[in-house]
Amino acid sequence: MRLFLALLLLLGLAVPAAALTVEDSRGPHTFAAPPERAVALSWSLAEQLVNLDVAPVGVADPEGYAEWVARPALPEDVAGVGLRQEPNLERIAELAPDVILISDDQHAFLEPLSRIAPVLHFETFRADHDNQQASRDTYLALARLFDREALAAERLAERDARLKALRETVQAHFDGDPPPVTVVRFVDEARVIVYGGNAMSTFALEALGLENGFPQPASKWGLAMMTLRDLAKVTKGALLYIEPFPQADALFAKPLWKALPVVRAGDVAALPPTWTYGGVFSVEYLAEAIADALLRLDAR
Amino acid sequence: MIVRLALGALVLLALVPAHLSLGSGLPLAELWPALSGVDPDGVAAALLSHAAGPRAVVAVLAGAALGLAGSVLQQVTRNRLVSPLTIGASSGAWLALVVAAVAVPALATAQGVWFAMGGAVAATGLVLVIAGRAGITGLPVVLAGMAVNLLLQAVATVVVLTNGEAVRTLFIWGAGDLTQNGWDWARWLWPQVLGGLIVLFLCIRPLALLKLGTEAAASRGLALLPLVLAAVGAALWLTASVITAVGVIGFVGLLAPALARMAGARSAAGEMLASLGLGALVLLATDTLALFAGQFTRDLVPSGAAAALVGVPVLIGLTLGRLRAQDHAPLRLPEGADRLRPGLAVLVAAGVAGLTLASLTLAPTAGGWRMAWPSELVLSLRWPRLLAGAAAGAGMALAGVVLQRLLRNPLASPDIIGISSGATLALVGAVVLLGGSIHDFGAPVALLGGLGALAVLLVLGRRQNNAPGAVALVGIALAALLDAVLQMVLAKGGDETMMVVGWLAGSTARVTEGQALTLAAAVLLLAVLAVAAHRWLTLLAGGEPFAAGRGLAVGPARVVLLSLGAVTAAAVTAVVGPIAFVGLIAPHLAALLGARRSAQHLLLACGLGVLLMVLSDWLGRTLLYPVQLPAGAMASVIGGGYFLLLLLARRGGIGAGRTA
Repeated sequence: MRLFLALLLLLGLAVPAAALTVEDSRGPHTFAAPPERAVALSWSLAEQLVNLDVAPVGVADPEGYAEWVARPALPEDVAGVGLRQEPNLERIAELAPDVILISDDQHAFLEPLSRIAPVLHFETFRADHDNQQASRDTYLALARLFDREALAAERLAERDARLKALRETVQAHFDGDPPPVTVVRFVDEARVIVYGGNAMSTFALEALGLENGFPQPASKWGLAMMTLRDLAKVTKGALLYIEPFPQADALFAKPLWKALPVVRAGDVAALPPTWTYGGVFSVEYLAEAIADALLRLDAR
Repeated sequence: MIVRLALGALVLLALVPAHLSLGSGLPLAELWPALSGVDPDGVAAALLSHAAGPRAVVAVLAGAALGLAGSVLQQVTRNRLVSPLTIGASSGAWLALVVAAVAVPALATAQGVWFAMGGAVAATGLVLVIAGRAGITGLPVVLAGMAVNLLLQAVATVVVLTNGEAVRTLFIWGAGDLTQNGWDWARWLWPQVLGGLIVLFLCIRPLALLKLGTEAAASRGLALLPLVLAAVGAALWLTASVITAVGVIGFVGLLAPALARMAGARSAAGEMLASLGLGALVLLATDTLALFAGQFTRDLVPSGAAAALVGVPVLIGLTLGRLRAQDHAPLRLPEGADRLRPGLAVLVAAGVAGLTLASLTLAPTAGGWRMAWPSELVLSLRWPRLLAGAAAGAGMALAGVVLQRLLRNPLASPDIIGISSGATLALVGAVVLLGGSIHDFGAPVALLGGLGALAVLLVLGRRQNNAPGAVALVGIALAALLDAVLQMVLAKGGDETMMVVGWLAGSTARVTEGQALTLAAAVLLLAVLAVAAHRWLTLLAGGEPFAAGRGLAVGPARVVLLSLGAVTAAAVTAVVGPIAFVGLIAPHLAALLGARRSAQHLLLACGLGVLLMVLSDWLGRTLLYPVQLPAGAMASVIGGGYFLLLLLARRGGIGAGRTA
């Protein structure tokens, strides 16, 4: 027994107390200490870092992030490191990061990036798993990496509580019988992305206890590309479209648009720019926007 | 003829209900009640009158316009391979619209057709000048069209990559989707088509005279040029209008005139009329097909892609059997010095060394430009991409020299005859069929595609006695097929879309150390083999009877050399993606500098290929820092730009060759 304790003690001494192990899509990775200078090459990971109060030193295409993701805002002094499809390796190296975070289709850059710093690759979007659970796992892995597990647990609890409160507000407002909701993103005047199974907006609907008005089978990004006429199949509930959509005026003048049942009923509203391919908190942002839009629609 | 026309009209009428049913999503049985106004305010009536109705009308109008444009262009050039797609008009119009949508969005929405027209005229003019007077009637014009298409695509890729999310939608539109949500476009399109029709009606007589030959027309005292220009202008106007309204729809302009001739149309007016009707029929039919296929997938099936998928086999079938003498006309690029001055080789070597050094040491940083020997880390970032870029440049140049000498055709580079397209098609096809990212599939799939393209080339080539025409046609068909599959992928709209665009641009940024070393070793080995076989190249370049007379086993030697070229191009494509123009201009530039002997030609071209790719990689890295452009796209823009300048400077074009 004493020998066993001694062994345990030795083992404990052999592994430095601060060492931490983080699992990404490839397996466990060990870090001696939490990284201080992180570069995030995908927008969903940048969003999750900000939600851990970690300011990334570099992000791919921060201008695009400001326009399409919008929430949460990136720190002002974050450096742009090129495009998400073709990051600038030397700019990244200049920033001297101690960890580089990439996701999904960016794994092609794994080897070149790993010459600069340890790389963690997270596969958040897959057809064969639950994207929300995966992004929650990613968030927790990042929390472990940056030694903010307590903060993460707190933020997730806040998020879950916020979603619960939103759900109660919506359900109470509609006396437990809220209308079904269809969330879309217009591509142009004729084509539209309808979000279905495995989309972050669909998880937001579920969290609010709302029925999807135009359900689609689950897929990698949770999207189905359709044309305007397909929206005629939305016969009940509200249609919410995500901004930005610059051609809104042109589309809303089209006769076919005006003939859609959901438009005739007046149940259409815009959602402020929110990233539909984001992380675990994008579900909260989307739920807030959806709840807000529903209450506004009903008040009219 | 009349009977056949009536038959065609009947088929067209029979197609309409099917198209309306698919276009509105209403079962056939419910069409009539919806039309007859049982419920005039109902959704069914709205779907019919605002979605399916205008879609059918636009399909007919666009098809008729493209068929007519194709027929007129073919009659003017007396070349059955000419169409708005194959002479660059479509891609010119599309690029102009893309650039306008990015630079002046408001103006582009209001006056898009003028941008499209400008782009179509500029691209077509360029192609005609490149092909030269003698080349217009044969293959040269089509090959020049391919080259211009490649260049314009590269420019469009750069525009789209650097503008991100906002221009993603341009791809769907570029794929030619006929979806309508009101009568706006139908109302806009019909006067354009009518205008073009009237102008072309006035040109029937000169076109009829042209059929007899230019001399015959001139001897009737007809001032041909203004009328021909008016006809071509009207045809381009029709094309630009269709592209503005519904995006790029290829092949209708090629198919309809071919079908018209099959149906027995002989006179100029008859051919035009039949092409007009058959164009409408073909597009309505392929759009019905696209709508039908769209029911079974979550993604859009663009009508343009469907038209290309139907059109490619028909194109091969229709034209391969009937290549004419003009299609076999040899092509000549401007020729330069007769002998290589020894100083030049040294100069190229010095250039490669200097550029390599600059690429390693000179780069912008957050604090401005800096010139210094790189740190170990920066060196580890720079050398693999530098090596991969250099190897890709040498590889494409090598493949270009081999193919150009074998096929005795200065435009026969791997990107133009379809080897690169075959490799890319295999990779993109794997993404479509198996899912996942394009980066998941590597060299084996690309090799399979490249060798597959080569096999098609060899089989069809043998049947055609290895005519350059047959070889070029296969390349064009493969490129078109690739385009169709790509359009399907790009219309999907997921994040993998932009990854495919990035990959297609030919990037050295993601090359691993292992890949760079493997590619360099492979290209080195293939270059040694090619230099070792330089005597075969010399003999075959002199013509097959000549080579056989000198005791060469022509058949096996050809296959070995062609495979060598194809494997090299496929290997490059697998590692860095499709690289255009290097395989075209490096061998040509080497010849221009006086490299006449095979071994000389191979080595000098490789040096120039390295030079071009290293320069492109460095410019792509530094030009828009911190945004980075793919090396392949840069090489296309530089190489393609040089190519066009060269041909423009040598008025008289390819066909005129040595006499110019």
